Amino acid sequence: MKQALSNPLARWGFAIIATVLLLALLAPLIAPYDPDAIDVKAILLAPSSSHWMGTDGLGRDVFSRMLFGARISLLVGFVAVGIATAIGIVLGALAGFYRGWVDTVIMRLVDVMLTIPTFFLILAVIAFLTPSIWNIMIVIGLTSWMGVTRLVRAEFLSLREREFVMASQILGARDGRLIFRHLLPNSLTPVIVSTVLGVASAVLVESGLSFLGLGVQPPNASWGNILTDGKEYIEFAWWLSLFPGMAILLTVLGYNLLGEGLRDALDPRSNK
Amino acid sequence: MPRKLLPFLAAFFLLAACGRPADSSNADLNRPYPPQSGGTLVDAMAGEPSGLIPMLAGESAASAIAANIFNTLLKYDKNLELEGELAKSWDISDDQKTITFHLKPDLKWADGAPLTSADALFTWKLVTDDNTRTPYGADYKLVIRAEAPDAQTFRVSYAQPYAPALDSWAGLQILPKHLPQGQDINTTAFARHPVGSHYYQLAEWTNGERISLVRNPNATQGQARIDRLLSRFIPDPAAQFLELMADNIDSMGLSPIQYARIFPARPELNQKIALYKELGNAYTYLGFNLKHKPFDDQRVRQAINYAIDKQEIIDGVLLGLGEPVASPYKPGTRWSNPRLHPYPYDPEKAKQLLKDAGYADHDGDGILDKDGKPLAFEILTNQNKQREMSATLIQRRLKDIGIDVKIRVLEWASFIGRFIKTGDFDVVLLGWGLGQEPDQFNIWHSSQQAPGQFNFIGYSNPEVDKLLEQGRLELNPDKRQEIYHQFAKILLEDSPIVYLYAGYGLPAIHKRVKGIDNPAPPAGIGHNAYEWYIPEPLRRTEISAQ
Amino acid sequence: MTRYLLRRLFWMVPLLVGISLISFLIMHLAPGDITTTEAGFNPKASQESRQKLRQLYHLDEPLIVQYGLWLKRMATLDFGTSFASHQRPVFLERKDDKGNVSKGMIQEALPITLLINVLSLVLIIAVALPLGVISALNPNKPPDRTITVFVFIGFAVPGFWLALMMMYWLGVAHDWLPISGLHSLGYEHLTWPARWWDTARHLAIPVFISALGGLAGISLFVRNGMLDVLHQDYITTARAKGLPENTVVYRHALRNALLPLITILGLSIPGLIGGSVIAESLFAIPGMGKLFYDAVLMRDFPVIMGILTIGAALTLIGNLLADLAYAWADPRVRRGVGG
Repeated sequence: MKQALSNPLARWGFAIIATVLLLALLAPLIAPYDPDAIDVKAILLAPSSSHWMGTDGLGRDVFSRMLFGARISLLVGFVAVGIATAIGIVLGALAGFYRGWVDTVIMRLVDVMLTIPTFFLILAVIAFLTPSIWNIMIVIGLTSWMGVTRLVRAEFLSLREREFVMASQILGARDGRLIFRHLLPNSLTPVIVSTVLGVASAVLVESGLSFLGLGVQPPNASWGNILTDGKEYIEFAWWLSLFPGMAILLTVLGYNLLGEGLRDALDPRSNK
Repeated sequence: MPRKLLPFLAAFFLLAACGRPADSSNADLNRPYPPQSGGTLVDAMAGEPSGLIPMLAGESAASAIAANIFNTLLKYDKNLELEGELAKSWDISDDQKTITFHLKPDLKWADGAPLTSADALFTWKLVTDDNTRTPYGADYKLVIRAEAPDAQTFRVSYAQPYAPALDSWAGLQILPKHLPQGQDINTTAFARHPVGSHYYQLAEWTNGERISLVRNPNATQGQARIDRLLSRFIPDPAAQFLELMADNIDSMGLSPIQYARIFPARPELNQKIALYKELGNAYTYLGFNLKHKPFDDQRVRQAINYAIDKQEIIDGVLLGLGEPVASPYKPGTRWSNPRLHPYPYDPEKAKQLLKDAGYADHDGDGILDKDGKPLAFEILTNQNKQREMSATLIQRRLKDIGIDVKIRVLEWASFIGRFIKTGDFDVVLLGWGLGQEPDQFNIWHSSQQAPGQFNFIGYSNPEVDKLLEQGRLELNPDKRQEIYHQFAKILLEDSPIVYLYAGYGLPAIHKRVKGIDNPAPPAGIGHNAYEWYIPEPLRRTEISAQ
Repeated sequence: MTRYLLRRLFWMVPLLVGISLISFLIMHLAPGDITTTEAGFNPKASQESRQKLRQLYHLDEPLIVQYGLWLKRMATLDFGTSFASHQRPVFLERKDDKGNVSKGMIQEALPITLLINVLSLVLIIAVALPLGVISALNPNKPPDRTITVFVFIGFAVPGFWLALMMMYWLGVAHDWLPISGLHSLGYEHLTWPARWWDTARHLAIPVFISALGGLAGISLFVRNGMLDVLHQDYITTARAKGLPENTVVYRHALRNALLPLITILGLSIPGLIGGSVIAESLFAIPGMGKLFYDAVLMRDFPVIMGILTIGAALTLIGNLLADLAYAWADPRVRRGVGG
C-alpha cells in the first residue's frame, strides 16, 4: 500500500476514494436536508446558498440526495464485488489446487461466461426478477467473477511448485491447511487490484441500469438514478446531471487510479 | 499502421463534424400564409408498430399511424359528437336492436378498387373470428347478425339494445376485403403493406428507423394538405426533445417541466415552436386491492382519500397542468357529474375515520396499528416519471397520518404478468382512459374479475352492477346521463380508487405548421390535421429539394 | 496449422454447450413458467401465445428433453419467430408461399452493431497505440501520467451523460452533426458517396462514445506490454548493436508487444456488444442492443435467446480469428510449442 501511494496518481485516487467514503459515512451529519423531504414550492431551483446543488423535480435537495446516494452507489459496488470476489476465489482455488477435471470444468465455465455479452445477461435477469437493490448487487456479482478466478488459479498453479508448499505437502499437511495457510494468503495480492477495479465497473453498471429504468428503486437515491432524472433537462436544469455525473466520473476515476497504482506496486516486473 | 490510419480517422471525424445543408430561409414564421398543399411533417414516436392492422397491433404507435390510413364507419367531430365517416347516415330501428349504415357513394380504396359494404362485413367477420388474435372482439360479438344487402348498406342487429354500439363502430377501422382475404390475418404480409382509404397511404417503412406516409389520391374524405407524414422512431425522450430543439422533428408531446419551465426560459424556442394544451385522454388513480385487508373497509379507503392532497400532486408533478377529477369521465363533458367534487385534503378527518375503523398507534412507533398489525402497504406503479413522483408525494402524506408506505416501480411486463394478473398487490398507481363512451362495464362490473380482465382491483357492488347493466341497454342520452351520474356518485363515495388527476396533453408543434385550431376543441388539436398546411417558404430545404 | 485449427474448433464445442445451457436457464428464470409472464393485457391473446410457447419449447416434456430439443434448434440455427404480432423470423429471412420475404430481426440488426463496433475498435487501436507507446517511452513522467488520467476519464465518464451533452453541443447548439438515427431524411435520393458521408456523420458520436470507454484498457495494455518488452534482453542487445532508437522501438519492441493485443481484441467483443444497449436506445439506432432491450421488455423469448446465442457465437468466432491471427503471427504457437 505504501509503495502504491508513492505513485502520485494513486495518491490522488486514494484521496478521492477516501473523501467519497467519508462523505458517504457522514451523510446524516453533513446533509443539510432530509434527502427525501419534498417541497413542491421549490421545484428545480438552481444551486444557491440554501441548496448547494439545487433541487430536483420534487423540490428535494440534490446535495443531500447525492450524499445519501453515495451510500447506495458504493454499497452496490462493494457488495457486488464482494460476491464476485468470493466466487472467484473459491473457484480459482479449486481449479488451481486440484487441477485435472475440476480445473477443466471451471475454466470452461469461465470461458462460457466470458463469451456471453455480460450486460445482456444482467439486463435480462434483472428485468425478469424485477429490479431491487439486492437483485442488482447479486446479478452484477454473479456475472463478474471470472477475472478473479483466473488470477487466483494462476497464482495457485505457480505457488504449488514452490518449495515451501511442496515441503509442507510432503510433511503431510492436509488440503485445507495447505490452501488456507499457505496458498490463499500468498495469492491474494493480485485479487486486491481486480477488486478495486471491480467496484468502479459496478458503479458504472448501476448507472447504466438506471438509465434503462432497471436500477435502484425510488425513493432510494443512487447516483445513477439522480443522473437519469436529470437527463431530460441536461441543458436546462444542468445541476441535476452535472453533479451526479461528476461524482460517478471522479469515483470511478479514483478507483482506477488507485487500482493501477496498486498493480504497478505489486507487479514485480514493473520495478523502475 | 497506426501512423497511416490516424490522420485518416482524424479526417473522418473532423469532416463528419462540419457542414450540413443550411436550413430553410429566415422566412417569417409568424406572418399569415394562405393555405397551400405540399410539404412534409416530421414527428417522433417512442416505439415502432409491430404491424399496421389496427385490430391486431396493440401499441399506441400502431394506432396513431393506422388512424391516418384506415377509415371507420363513424367518427367523433371536434365537439365529440358522432358523425359519419364512411357512412353518409345511419338509422336505428324502432326496437333499437338494429343499426343500418348507409355508405357514401363511389368510395374507393387507395389501389382504386371500390369500397363497399362488403368490406365492412368482411371486417366485422374478421374481428369476431376466433382465430383472429385481437383483444377488441367483445363489442362486435354482441352482433347476432350482420349483413350487406347492397353495396351501400351495412346492417347489424343485436339481441337487445346495446347503447355503446355506435361508439364501437366509430372504433373499428374497415379493411379491404380483396387484399388480406384468404390469408391468415395474423401473419399476413398486409400488416406491413396496408392499403386503406383514408388521407394517407404507406410509402415506405424502414425497420427501426421510420415510417413514411404519402397522400392517398383516392382518399374518401377529400385531400389532406400536407403531402407526407414522416414518423421517426426515437425511443429516448431526451433525444426526442433535442431533435425538436434542433428542428429535426416538427412535433412532440412535452412533459410539464418542458412546457412550464424550459420553454418560458428560452425565447429562441418560443420563436419557432408553438405550444398547445388539450385535456388529456386519461386520468391517474390510486387503486386498492379490495380483496386484501384492510382495503375491504370503506373507512380506510376514504381515510386515505382524505389524506392525499390532490392539488399538491397537480402542482408538484404536473406543475399545475392538469385537473382534479371526481368521476371517471372527462371533466366538462355530459357524462361527468358536475355535482361531484374530489375528497378535500383533510388529514384530521382521515385520522378520525381510521380511529373509527379501529386503528391507533398502540406501540408508539408512529405507525398506526390494529390487532398488532401495523397499517403498512406497498404502492406498485410502472416506469412512468409522473406516477413515480405522485407515489412519492402520497407516501409522504400518508406518513403524516401514520401509514407506512413503500413504493415499487416495475417495468410493464412484470407489472402485468406478476402482480396484476395474479392479484398479488395491495395498492397500484395507474391510469385509465377517458373515452367518449360512458360504458365502463369492463372496469367496474363484478363479473370482470378473471385474471387478465380489467376489474383487477376486485370491485363488486350490486348497485353499481345494476346501473352498468342498465346503462348498456338505455339509448336515450338523457336517461343514460342520469344513470352514469348516479354510478359516478356511488363510486366516489365508495372510494375503491382515489382519483388523483387528469393531466393535459402538451403538444409542441413547429410554427411552420399552420391551420391548427387554438385553443384546442374538446377533441384535441389533431381533429383537423388534414387541414394543417406548411407554406412553401417555411418548408425544410433538404426535403423539398427532392 | 490445420491441426491447430481443428483443435481450436473442437474446443468450441463445450463452450457452445455451456452457452446453450445458460440461455436455457435464462428462459426458465422467469418465476412460474415462462408462459405466465406476458407483455399484454389480453386474456385471449395470452391464452394463445401461452399455448404457442408451450408447443414451441415443449414445456410439457421433462426438462432434459426440453434442453435436448433446444440444443437441436440451436445447432440448426432455427430460433423460430418473434412473439410480437408481426411474427418476424428471429434470425434469418424467410419467404412465405406468396413470395413475400420477411427479413430476420437479427439479420437486420447485426450488421449495424457490427459496423459501429468495428469502427470503434479501429478508432480505439488508432488512438490507444500511440498513447500506449508514448506512455511506455516516458514511464511515470508527465506525458505518461497525463495519458493515464485522460484514458481513465474516458472510461469513468457515464457514457449516456457525455453522449447527451455531445448531442446537445454538436447537434442543437451548433448544428454540426445529426442527433439521432442512422440516415437523414431523403437518404434514398443521395448518391453513393453522399450516402457514405451521411452514415458517417450519423455514426460519429456513437462511435466516439463507444470507443472512449474501451480506450483505457487497450492503451494501458500497450503501455505495460511495451514496458515489459523494453526490458527484455533482445531489446537491450538491439540497442547495444547501435540500432537507431526508432527501429528498436517500432520494429522490435512494438511488434512483440502487439501480439497479445490480438487476443485482447477478440475478448473485448462481448463487452462492446453488451455496451450497445444504452447507446442504441439513446441514438435511436436499430441494432442488436436495442433489439435485445425491446425483446426483454416485451418478454419476446425467441428473440432474447436468439441474441444471446448469436452474440456468444460471434465472440467465439472473434476469439477464433484472434487466435488464428496470433498463430499466424507467432510461429511458436503454430507449431504447438506455446500456450
